[in-house]
Amino acid sequence: MSNDAILLSATIFLPAIAALFLAGFDKKAVEAMRMYTLAVTVIVFGLTIAVLGRFDASNGDMQMLVKASWIPTWNIYYQLGVDGISMTLVLLTAFVFVLAAMASWSIKDKVKGYLMLFLILETGVLGVFLSLDFFLFYVFWEVMLLPMYFLIGVWGGPRREYAAIKFFLYTLFGGVLMLIAMLMFYFNSAGSELAGGESVFDLLTLMKIAQAGQFNQQIQIIAFVLLFIGFAIKLPSFPVHTWLPDAHVEAPTPISMILAGILLKLGGYGIIRIAMPLCPYGTQYAAYALVALGVFSIIYGAFAAMAQTDFKRLVAYSSVSHMGYVLVGLAVWKINESGATVGINHWQMGLSGAMFQMLAHGVSSAGMFFMVGVVYDRVHHRDLNKFGGLMQKMPHYSALAVVIFFAGLGLPGLCGFIGEAFVVLSTWNFSPLLAIIAASGVILTAGYILWTVQRVYLGPEYKGPHAEDLTPINGREATIGWIIAIFAVVLGVYPYMMLGMMETSVEKLTQDLAAGYNASMDPAAESVTSVSE
Amino acid sequence: MSPEIYSEVGSLLKWLLTAAWLLPLLGFLVEIFGGYWADRKSKVPAYLAVGCIATGFLLSLIALGTWVDAADMNLWAFESAGHSAEHGEGAEHGDDHEHATVAEHDHADAHDEEHHEHASADEHHGNDPLKTAFSGTFYRLGKFGRLDVTLDWYIDGLTVAMFAMVTLIASCIHIFAIGYMSDELTEHYEDHFVHLPGGRHFHRPGRFYRFFAYLSLFCFSMLGLVLAGNIFQVFIFWELVGVCSYLLIGFYVERHSASTAANKAFIMNRVGDFGFLIGLMVIWTWFGVFQFANTDPAHADQAGLFQMVRTHDGTLVTEGEGMEKTVSLQHIEGEARPSSIPYWLLTVAGLGIFAGCIGKSAQFPLQTWLPDAMEGPTPVSALVHSATMVAAGVYLAARFYPMFTPEVLLVIAYVGCITLFIGATIALVVTDIKRVLAYSTISQLGYMMLALGVGGWIAGLFHLITHAFFKSLMFLCSGSVIHGCHHEQEMTKMGGLYKKMPITCWTMFVGVVAICGLAIPFVTLPAIGAVAFSGFHSKDAIIASALTFSSLNPVHSLLFYVPLITAGITAFYMFRMWFMTFFGKPKDHHVYDHAHESPTVMTAPLLILSFFAIFVAVGGEAGPLVTLYGAAEPAHVAMGATDAGNIGLNLPSHEQIHNFHAQAGMAALLVAFAGTLLAYLFYASGAVDPGTVKRQFESVHEFLVDKWRFDVLYDWMWQRPVHVVASWCTAFDKYVLDGLIHGSASSVVKIAQWDRKFDEAVVDRSVNVLGEVTMSVANWFRGLQTGQLRQYVMLIAVSVVSLFVLVFIFFPGQ
Repeated sequence: MSNDAILLSATIFLPAIAALFLAGFDKKAVEAMRMYTLAVTVIVFGLTIAVLGRFDASNGDMQMLVKASWIPTWNIYYQLGVDGISMTLVLLTAFVFVLAAMASWSIKDKVKGYLMLFLILETGVLGVFLSLDFFLFYVFWEVMLLPMYFLIGVWGGPRREYAAIKFFLYTLFGGVLMLIAMLMFYFNSAGSELAGGESVFDLLTLMKIAQAGQFNQQIQIIAFVLLFIGFAIKLPSFPVHTWLPDAHVEAPTPISMILAGILLKLGGYGIIRIAMPLCPYGTQYAAYALVALGVFSIIYGAFAAMAQTDFKRLVAYSSVSHMGYVLVGLAVWKINESGATVGINHWQMGLSGAMFQMLAHGVSSAGMFFMVGVVYDRVHHRDLNKFGGLMQKMPHYSALAVVIFFAGLGLPGLCGFIGEAFVVLSTWNFSPLLAIIAASGVILTAGYILWTVQRVYLGPEYKGPHAEDLTPINGREATIGWIIAIFAVVLGVYPYMMLGMMETSVEKLTQDLAAGYNASMDPAAESVTSVSE
Repeated sequence: MSPEIYSEVGSLLKWLLTAAWLLPLLGFLVEIFGGYWADRKSKVPAYLAVGCIATGFLLSLIALGTWVDAADMNLWAFESAGHSAEHGEGAEHGDDHEHATVAEHDHADAHDEEHHEHASADEHHGNDPLKTAFSGTFYRLGKFGRLDVTLDWYIDGLTVAMFAMVTLIASCIHIFAIGYMSDELTEHYEDHFVHLPGGRHFHRPGRFYRFFAYLSLFCFSMLGLVLAGNIFQVFIFWELVGVCSYLLIGFYVERHSASTAANKAFIMNRVGDFGFLIGLMVIWTWFGVFQFANTDPAHADQAGLFQMVRTHDGTLVTEGEGMEKTVSLQHIEGEARPSSIPYWLLTVAGLGIFAGCIGKSAQFPLQTWLPDAMEGPTPVSALVHSATMVAAGVYLAARFYPMFTPEVLLVIAYVGCITLFIGATIALVVTDIKRVLAYSTISQLGYMMLALGVGGWIAGLFHLITHAFFKSLMFLCSGSVIHGCHHEQEMTKMGGLYKKMPITCWTMFVGVVAICGLAIPFVTLPAIGAVAFSGFHSKDAIIASALTFSSLNPVHSLLFYVPLITAGITAFYMFRMWFMTFFGKPKDHHVYDHAHESPTVMTAPLLILSFFAIFVAVGGEAGPLVTLYGAAEPAHVAMGATDAGNIGLNLPSHEQIHNFHAQAGMAALLVAFAGTLLAYLFYASGAVDPGTVKRQFESVHEFLVDKWRFDVLYDWMWQRPVHVVASWCTAFDKYVLDGLIHGSASSVVKIAQWDRKFDEAVVDRSVNVLGEVTMSVANWFRGLQTGQLRQYVMLIAVSVVSLFVLVFIFFPGQ
C-alpha cells in the first residue's frame, strides 16, 4: 500500500479500531476512557493535518487517490481521495470531534458504550467525506446512522425515543432514495465507453460520463431529485427539517455539537460531491427551485427561531436558517438562452461561500450548542424566559457565549459573516428578487440572536430555578469555548485560509458542470439510452 | 510629484494611518483581558486607552503634515489672498490647476450626459487619483476567477482630515471619561436605575476597564471605516462600529431600557444595512470590483469603481433614454465583463448604499434609535452618537459621491430635509438634556445630508467636522452637568447652575453659539472673514448650497425654506436648553444644593474642544480645513450640472453657490437671531410663559412628545407582524409538517395493524389449517406406526406390489 492509502485509511479507521480497544477498559475507569477517547480524536485531527500537509491546494483535481478492489463482482472498489472541497470538511470534522470529546465529560452513565459509538460515528463521517466510490459512500452514510440513533436514543433527553426514531426514519428515507439513484447510475454507466462497458460505482468515472453528457436528461433530472431529497433531509432544508429541532433538543450536548457541526454538512457535501457532478443537467434544471428553497429556508428558519422558547430549539432553527445559505450558494448557476454559463465567477463565489458557510456554521453552531449545554448542565432547563443576568453570575462564560452568538449573527470579523455575505453577493447575478429576500434575512437573524442574548445574558437577575448552581465555567469548558471563539475570529478575519484551499477545486467543479450541461444539451452527443436502443 | 516620491509618500501615509488604526485594537485586547483579571480599582486601562488613541492622534497629525507637504498645499493661503478671491477652493494642487478654468466651463455643454466626449482637455484632479489619493491592498479575503475580495486602504485629503478629527475628539472624550466613569472604580457598584423586586438595590463589581476596552474597540472600527479602500470593507467596519455602539449603549446591561435600546440600535442599523447589501450586490454583479479607485501604477489595468463609472473629468457617459438608459463603464478594455450598467440599476445601487447611511446616521425613517441610544454613558453619546459613528453615514455618502446619480442626490436631499425638520421639532419639547442633544444631532445630520444632496459636497463635510467638535463638546458639557448633578438628566429639575459650574456653562455656551450659527453681523476681518464660531461657517455653506439649488430648481424650493426655518428652531431649542439648565431659579433644590463643578480631568477636554469649536472653521470655505479635504472633492461637483439625470436636475456649481453666499448667510443669521431672541423671551426673561403656549398647542405638543409617533407606528408595522409570522412558522412546523409525518407514521401503524389482522385471520389461518391438515394426516400415519415389524414388512410388500402394478398399468408393453 502507498503512503496515501495508509494515511487516508488510518484517518478513517483509527477511531473505529480505537473503539474496539475501548471495550477492554474497566467499566469503572470512566476518566481513563474519556481521556483515551479525547486522545484518539486528537490523533485523528493530527492525521488530518498530515493529510493537509500532503495536499496541494493549487491542484483542483482529486488527490492522494487510493483504489483497491473490494467486491469485484459488482465493480465495487475501496476508493478514497481528497480535493479542496473535502479537505476543508475533513479538517472541520476532526476538529469538531475533538471539541465534542472534550464536551463529553458531561455524559455520566454508560460511558463506555457512549464513547464507543462516538468513535464509530467519527469513522462513518470521515469515510463519507473521503470515499470516492458511490457504494462505499453509501455504506459509510448508513454506518453513520446507527451510532447516531443510539446516541440520541439512549443518552438523550426525556423524549429521546421519539427524536431518535424520527431522525432515523427521516435519514433512512433519504438513504433509500439515494440507493435508487445510485443503482440508476450504476446500470446506466454500462452503456458508456468511458466506463469500459461495465457498470461502475466509481464516482470519478461517473463524473466523467456525466461531464460528457452521456446520462440523458431524464435520468439526470430524476436522479437529481432523488439525491437532492436525500441530502436536503440531512442539510436540512424546508420542508424536511422537522427532525432537526427534536433531535437537537433531545440529544446530549456533545452529540448536538456533532449533529449541527458536522452531520448537517454531509447534506451540503453530498449535493456538491454527488448530486451536482453526476447530474449537471438536473442541477441546472432545478437550480431556481434550489435557490428559492434555500432562500425560503433562510427566512422561515429565522422566523421559527424567533418564536421559540426553548434555547436549544432556537439554536436548531437558526441552523435551518443558516444552512439555507448553503443551498442558495451552491445553486446560483445562471445560464443564458444558449445554455452558456453567465458570470461563472459569481457562481464560484456562491459555491465557495456555501462551503465557507458550512465551515463557519460548523464552528459557530457547535459553539452555540455547547454554550447552551453549559447552562443546561447547571440549571437543567432551557426555557428562554427563565434566564437573565448570566452576565453577572458567569461573566467569563457569558463573554465567550456572546462572541459565539455574534459569530452566528454574521458579524464581520467573525466566521459567520463571510459565508453569508459571499453567498448573498453572488445571488444577485442569478436572481435579483431572491437575492433581496435572502439579504433581508440579516435583519431577522439580528433580531432573534440579540433578543436571545438579552433574555439570557443581560438583565439584573436570573429568573429561573437552581440559581445557586450557576457556578463559573470550569477550565475544560472554558478551553472549549476559547478554542471555538478563537477559530470564529481567525476564520472571520482571514477566510482565505479556507477559501484558498478550495479555490481551484471549486473552479474545476463549476467548469465541469458547465461542460456537462452543454454536453447534455447537445443533441449530437449520444446518450447512453439511445446507444442501448 | 514623481512616481518615486509618490510611492514613498503613499507607503509612509499607509504605515502611519495603519498604526493609528491598529493601536486601539491592541489597546482593546490588553484592556479587556488585563482588566478582567486585574484590580477593578485600577485606572491603568484608561491610561492605556488614552495612550493608544493619543498616539493615534499624533500619528494622524504626522500623516496630515506629510499629506499637506506632499500635495504641495498651502493651508494658510487664504490669509494673504483674502476671503473672496479663492472662495470654494483654497489652495491648489500640485498640477497648478486654476480654479478659473473650472468656472469657464460651459456648464450646460460640459456636463450634459448625452455628450460622450468631454470637450475639456483640462485634467481635473478629481478622477485622476494619482494626484489626489493613495490606495493599496492589505490582504485578500477571497478570490474567484477575476473577482477578488480584499481589504484595502484608500487615503486622500478626506481620509487624513477624518483621521485627525476622530483621533482628536476621541482623545478628549477618553480623558473626560476617566473622570466621568470614575464611580465604576469599585468592587461594589450600586446601580440605582435597576429596579429589583422588593425594592432591593442592585450591586455589581465596577466595569471601568470594560468601558475603555469598548471605547478602544470602537476607535479601531471607526478608523478602519475611514481607512477602508473598498465599499465591502466599509460594510465590514460599518457593522463593527454598529456592534461597538451596541455594546456601549448596552453598557449597563442590567438595565432593561439599556439593553432594549442597544437591540433597537443594532436592528435599525441592520435594516439600513439590508439596503446597503442590495447596493453591494448590484455593484458586485455589474462592476465586479469593490475598490473605490486604484492608484497603483503597477496595476493600472484594474480600475476602481469611481474610475469605471466616470471619466477623468467626472462625466457620466450614458446611452439611450428612460429605462433603456445605460451608463458605459470606463477603463475596462479587454476584460470579459459587462461594458455598461443600466442607469436605473446604478440608481438602485446608490439608493441601497444610501439606505445604509440612513440607518447609521439616524435619518428619516430610521431615526428612532438614536434618542434611545442615550441610555449609554455620556462619553459614548459624545463620541459614538454625535461626533463619529453617526457621521459615518454622511462620510460614506460623501465618499461614494461619484457613484450617485442625480436621482439619488435628490432622495438624499429630501431625506435630509425631512430629518432635520423632524429632529428639530421634537427637540423643542424634550426635557432630558441628553435627548435634546440627540434630536439636535439627528437634525444636524439631516443638514449634512441635505447639503450633499443639493450638490454641496464641501458644505456637507464641512458641517460634519465642525459639528463633530461642537456637538461632542456639548455632549461632554451635558455629561459634566449630569455628573455634577448626580445623574440627574431632566432639565426641569435644573436651573441656575451657572454659578455652580461656570466652566461647563461657558463652554456649553460656545457649543450653543456654534450650532446656532450666530455671528457678529456686518463685521468681516480682512484675513479670516466673518467673526463667528465654526458652526456659522458650515451652516452658512449649507444654506448657500440649498438656496442655490432651489433657485436652479424652483420645484424643490422646500429644500431651502425648511432648513432655513429649522435654523431658527435650532437656535431656539439650543438656547432653551442652555437657559433651562444654567439660568433661572433652581427648580429642584436637592439637585441644586449638591451640584458641583467637575474635576479638571473633565473640564480640560471641554476647554480643548471649545477651542476647536471656535476656530476649526476659521477662514470659512477658504480656510485651511476646507482646503485640506476639498482637494478630495469628486471632479464633477465643482462644475455643477444642468438638466442632469432622468429627472432633469440642475446642480449648482461652486461659482453659483458663491454668488448666493452673502444672501444666504444674511437670511440664516437673521433666522438664528430670531430663534435666540424667542428662546430668551421664553426661558430667560420670562416675558412669555412656555406653559401657556404648551396648553394652547396641546395636541401638537403631545404629538411632538410622542416623537411623531414613529415608535408606535413601527411597533404595529413591524414588531408585531414579525412575532405573528414567527408563531405561524412554528405552528406550521408543529401542526402541518410534523402533522404530516405523524399522520403518515400513524397510517403506517394502521396498515401494520390491518396487516397483522390479515395475517392472523387469513394467512395464519390458512397456514394453521394447513398445519392442522398436516397434523391430522400425520396422526393418521401415526396410526400406522405400530412398531410391529410384521406390519411394516406387510406394508412394504403391499407397497412394492402395488407400485409394480401401477407401473405396469401406466407404462404397458415396454
